[in-house]
Amino acid sequence: MARWELLATVVEHRRRAPEQYELILHAPPIAEAAQPGQFVMVRPLETHAPLLRRPYSILRANPDKGIISLFYAVHGAFTELLSLKQVGSSIRLLGPLGNWFQPVRGVQRHILVAGGFGAPPLCFFASRLAYSLKAEERIIILAGARRRDLLVGLDEFRALGAEVHVSTEDGSHGYTGRVTDLLVHQLENPEPAAVYACGPNAMLKIVAKICTQHAVPCFVSVETPMPCGVGACLGCAVRVALPGGSQWFRRACMEGPIFRAEEVIWE
Amino acid sequence: MNAYPNLQVQLGPLRLPNPVLAASGTFGYGLEYADLVNLSLMGGIVVKSLTLAPRAGNPPPRVTETPAGMLNSIGLQNEGVETFLLEILPRLREYGVPIIVSVAGETVEEFCAVAEKLTRAQGIVALELNLSCPNQMRGGMEFGIDAKLTATVVRAVRSRCELPLIAKLSPNVTDIVPIAQAARDAGADILSLINSVLGLAVDAQTRRFKLATRTGGLTGAAIKPIALYHVWRVHQALPDVPLIGIGGIMSWEDAVEFLLVGASAVQIGTANFVEPTTCIDVLQGLERYLVTQEIPSVQSLIGTVQDIA
Repeated sequence: MARWELLATVVEHRRRAPEQYELILHAPPIAEAAQPGQFVMVRPLETHAPLLRRPYSILRANPDKGIISLFYAVHGAFTELLSLKQVGSSIRLLGPLGNWFQPVRGVQRHILVAGGFGAPPLCFFASRLAYSLKAEERIIILAGARRRDLLVGLDEFRALGAEVHVSTEDGSHGYTGRVTDLLVHQLENPEPAAVYACGPNAMLKIVAKICTQHAVPCFVSVETPMPCGVGACLGCAVRVALPGGSQWFRRACMEGPIFRAEEVIWE
Repeated sequence: MNAYPNLQVQLGPLRLPNPVLAASGTFGYGLEYADLVNLSLMGGIVVKSLTLAPRAGNPPPRVTETPAGMLNSIGLQNEGVETFLLEILPRLREYGVPIIVSVAGETVEEFCAVAEKLTRAQGIVALELNLSCPNQMRGGMEFGIDAKLTATVVRAVRSRCELPLIAKLSPNVTDIVPIAQAARDAGADILSLINSVLGLAVDAQTRRFKLATRTGGLTGAAIKPIALYHVWRVHQALPDVPLIGIGGIMSWEDAVEFLLVGASAVQIGTANFVEPTTCIDVLQGLERYLVTQEIPSVQSLIGTVQDIA
């Protein structure tokens, strides 16, 4: 599992929506090695405040061009620093880190549940999955958010030819309600499926429960604070059930960020 | 002028190739960083605190960023001393970096039992007592905030361990000097200071604590002035006791400041999370500083801070 600490160059800084951006970075070894669901630890400037790097899921990686894309929304000092980065400037990256989404074989439907800004790693996963899809398999995207403007990646998902279902809690786009309602609806269909989810932990908890009830394999990419990204600080602990009934903590940065839904004990 | 300054430091019975170490709990067991950092160049690694039995640690969230720092409440999660000795130490030894092991316990007996197992192992150069552990006998109060309890732990471990002994002091006290004195008198060869500063963080939006345990230990750049103060005070009071300065060191300049106020070596903590190579960067910066300032050795810098003119 190779990883690099390097200075990446900003090759494009694209505004996707109000206060939502995509940073396209030249980082060839990371672009080469990155797998869908993996992340990088980002340091925009050598500041003491903000002090720590932050983890960002990889939205897409192009090994031929040596570039990766990161999605972020401006919210607080760290992302404001990110938003000031000009094309040609540099950013420290450490990665690619963590485990990745692996397609479950022998199912007809790959259901990707994207909650709000949790969509980026699923965009990357869908793009790789689309290439390796067998004739009998298809990709179904369930994308939900509180409001229409908080939905991410719909164009990317549609461009892959995936079946896309959308929900918003305020009814501004698609079904009015939660994305987990869409999931329940999908799983009423007995056709074999696997679920891959990323979004707020409150959503993942419900996704995990629904999948357990329907005996559908489910993988969740969790969100935690993460100071180091390399397994040293134990700050990103996720409580898991061990065989035999005991509990332990696993590191989202090393054993995760993707966990089997049934092993996570939600706080 | 000698272009190659002497970076070696002597701390009582402990000689280190250079004065820049990684602090306990911030560098895992060293192996986590082995592909990113040339471990063999480091002055030493203080591995994460070990207890007798494996410990699961505290519930999440365990960390939160604060201005120029972070609060943590990990709860001493570790695999236990036996797993360390069997599975980790043999691999870490191969890097040739001095290994110091942080010892933790909820009782005096646990400290001793862990230390006894470690003192028989090959390749450990010293033990560091994590006196900021919650004391089971006293409702979870830190051992290290009480001079008598500090002395009890240090004396007990001293009598059952032949390795150089470092007592790591807590800053969460009214006066650190009597505790430093008690640790020294009980047999500590070296004092390291400071451990994290107690603090808490609240989310105004959700009106909740940001850590599951409510309170945590503050580390990072924000605590450097506090750490410098405590190191300077202890060095003034106990000039013969070798000290290791810890707290908010992000750069070589920070490390030099600790040497000037009386530390013989430093430990880098939170900065490792930000830049994995901080220890090496600090060491190289320190070396350049000694060369350009025409200072022959690290040792000749220690405790030489002067009043403003």
